[in-house]
Amino acid sequence: MDQRSILDHQFVVAAYTVTWVIQLGYLAFLGLKWRGEKRKGRPGNPR
Amino acid sequence: MKKTAVGLASLIVVALMIWGFYQAIYVAPDDAMQGYVFRIIYYHVPSASVAFLFFAISLIGSIGYLAFRGSRPERAQISDAWALAGAEVGVVFCTVVLTTGPLWGRRAWGIWWTWDARLTTTLVLWLIYVSYLLLRRFAAGPQVQTLAAVLGIFGALDVPIVYMSNRWWRTQHPAPVFGGDADSGMKDPTMVGALLWNMLAWMAWGLLVLYFRYRTEREHQKNAEREALEALEAKI
Repeated sequence: MDQRSILDHQFVVAAYTVTWVIQLGYLAFLGLKWRGEKRKGRPGNPR
Repeated sequence: MKKTAVGLASLIVVALMIWGFYQAIYVAPDDAMQGYVFRIIYYHVPSASVAFLFFAISLIGSIGYLAFRGSRPERAQISDAWALAGAEVGVVFCTVVLTTGPLWGRRAWGIWWTWDARLTTTLVLWLIYVSYLLLRRFAAGPQVQTLAAVLGIFGALDVPIVYMSNRWWRTQHPAPVFGGDADSGMKDPTMVGALLWNMLAWMAWGLLVLYFRYRTEREHQKNAEREALEALEAKI
């Protein structure tokens, strides 16, 4: 593999990783938000 | 029943994502001009398409909210929840576009960013919807949903400008993959296949996340309504 191919490969890996970090990070944030709302809606929940 | 359907949908989405990844990395050939780095397009272009679709959903939700807020409060709340979900998930996909784009640009053009029409209008679109989300997060009072709906409608006006920008103006950004002139777009069928599979996969992923965000917002609305009623009862 030449230098150009190695760099290309690294940039593709970076782009795919960034995509998944953003998407899964948002999904985790949404999961916490969902759990918070469910907890809030439970009867007898102290507010 | 609903849980089973969501579980099944999640399984289909995961299978599509794996298949899309396989197509992009192992099936599609290197681009004749750009080489291996072209594969970034298989995540970049579908993310842009999904972001546009979700901003359109936000637009419809915003119009629905303004139309129903005086006459049908329940429908207005449902519309508002779709508007917020569309804007938020759209921003997530737009963020992917604005990060994968510069990574591709650095290798293809030698620069991370340039102020050409396509890139600038996309950044403006992202900023408009981030301000929409900040408005919803930090503003208080009965007019927040109305103000957000108006901002959502004006924000969506930027979507066709972004889409047409590399047709209307001479840009450094590549020609459109779909809907461009005869010289633009992909010629290799395996490349087209990889792009379409990834489009389908990201669309399915996005719709699942969008539905989840909508349900969360509806839950939030119900909790807020219950809290307001309890506060009112406590006063009486």
